[in-house]
Amino acid sequence: MSNGIRVAALDDIPQGEGLAVAKEITGTADDIALLRDTDDTVYALDDTCTHEDASLADGWVEDGYVECPLHASRFCLKNGEVQGLPATRNTCPHRVEVRDGEVWLFPGEAP
Amino acid sequence: MNVVVVGGGIAGVSTAAALRSQGFDGEITLVDAGEFPYDRPPLSKDYLAGTRPARQLALQQPSWYDDQRVRLVNRTTVTALRPAEGKLELSDGTMLPADRVVLATGGSAARPPIPGIDGERVHVLRTVEDADRLRPALTSGARILVVGAGLIGAETASTAVRLGCEVTLVDPLATPLAAVLGPELATWLQDMHTWHGITTVQAAVESFTDRGGHVEVRLTGKAASRSYDAVVVGVGMVPHTGLAERAGLDVDRGILVDAGQATSNPAVLAVGDPARPRGQARAEHWEAAQQDGARAAATLLGTAAPAPTAPWFWTDRHGRHIEAAGHMASAAETVVRGSCAEPSFAVFGLRDGRVVAAAAVDDSAAVRAARRMIDRRTPVDAGRLADPDVSLRALLRPER
Repeated sequence: MSNGIRVAALDDIPQGEGLAVAKEITGTADDIALLRDTDDTVYALDDTCTHEDASLADGWVEDGYVECPLHASRFCLKNGEVQGLPATRNTCPHRVEVRDGEVWLFPGEAP
Repeated sequence: MNVVVVGGGIAGVSTAAALRSQGFDGEITLVDAGEFPYDRPPLSKDYLAGTRPARQLALQQPSWYDDQRVRLVNRTTVTALRPAEGKLELSDGTMLPADRVVLATGGSAARPPIPGIDGERVHVLRTVEDADRLRPALTSGARILVVGAGLIGAETASTAVRLGCEVTLVDPLATPLAAVLGPELATWLQDMHTWHGITTVQAAVESFTDRGGHVEVRLTGKAASRSYDAVVVGVGMVPHTGLAERAGLDVDRGILVDAGQATSNPAVLAVGDPARPRGQARAEHWEAAQQDGARAAATLLGTAAPAPTAPWFWTDRHGRHIEAAGHMASAAETVVRGSCAEPSFAVFGLRDGRVVAAAAVDDSAAVRAARRMIDRRTPVDAGRLADPDVSLRALLRPER
């Protein structure tokens, strides 16, 4: 268990939107999208849609799901499971914690 | 109960997927003419450009069919329905038991009755085979005429110019798509063709004449005919309704269906491009076909159908992503958010203080927001909608 990386302030991510953290910072193969749900819970998923080259951090976040900004495939914020075509593969979730208004990311760790 | 889905496009595959996700435990058979069910939107873009291989067109991973217990009968067509006997007939002569049939038969690219339309150098684009036949013609420097500046035509023109072709795009409308995207955005899109080196012409085609090596094309209102190395005709599609007609189902410019996708025979449903809800037009869009599948599954299982949403589609051209939702034709006024001179920008169609349609270039969030405004009938202020500094998500939230 690592201590995680402080990647953003909660206020940097508007409700219902996302923020991409570069792979140079996360040390993962893909960038990681921080996604703030409509109930203000923050989730983290691999950023690139599994269908085409689009950033899920630019997607529409609502009620537990993020909708890809290109072709609207939806992914579950909790576990990265794809909900509908055109994407057919799940994306990978990462553990994230909000402490005192700061967002801490644990790349590669299961939520 | 066993269900046979006829056709493996997005509508057919979505029907099978929705049946399983809604808990159906019976047999599902998916009959498809092709090698495997594939997605059509990339056919005019990455696949045509040669940057995406055929296997990446698959609508589902190969393992999905086993995982979901969907029996895929590929390279096969259905030749006759026998709903009264609870079966149907396949092209190899075998009979298949079918308590319920879902027709997802799609259609063919339209070839209007223009002299010379069946010539070897006159292409259409609907299937992988069409794309495979067209691609070798799109060589650098080739003179290509694209007929029809709707979605397929404009996307194909964009791909051809990217491959180095010399492209002319002809359409009878001065501003194609203005009725669905609004005049502001449609004008910008049409101009974008010119910026990318495409010659746009407002005309219709009178004739194609194959001169062996090239096609001579005569356009309405033009004195001289012009030569092209190849032509692509993208002027819509013709729904496949033959099976339904021969089975005695109600057909009128599409297979007529009710709100639950049932045809005039309750044992047969129809989804996707060929299905026409009574009193309405056929939808002909990717997501509409997907939603038809979910509705058909709900009807078969007697569960509640998902709530209808405003229609939505996208088109990708010249590296720009365009989305539209709702019915722009029903708008009383349009409001532009951002500047029409430069992406990203969005156009909202309003009526009686509510959003009825939206279209955007490189701003899918605006269209996703608008779609929810349409579905929830959210009252909106035109001035705040037009102001890029006002968050659209904030406009969606109920007043506190």
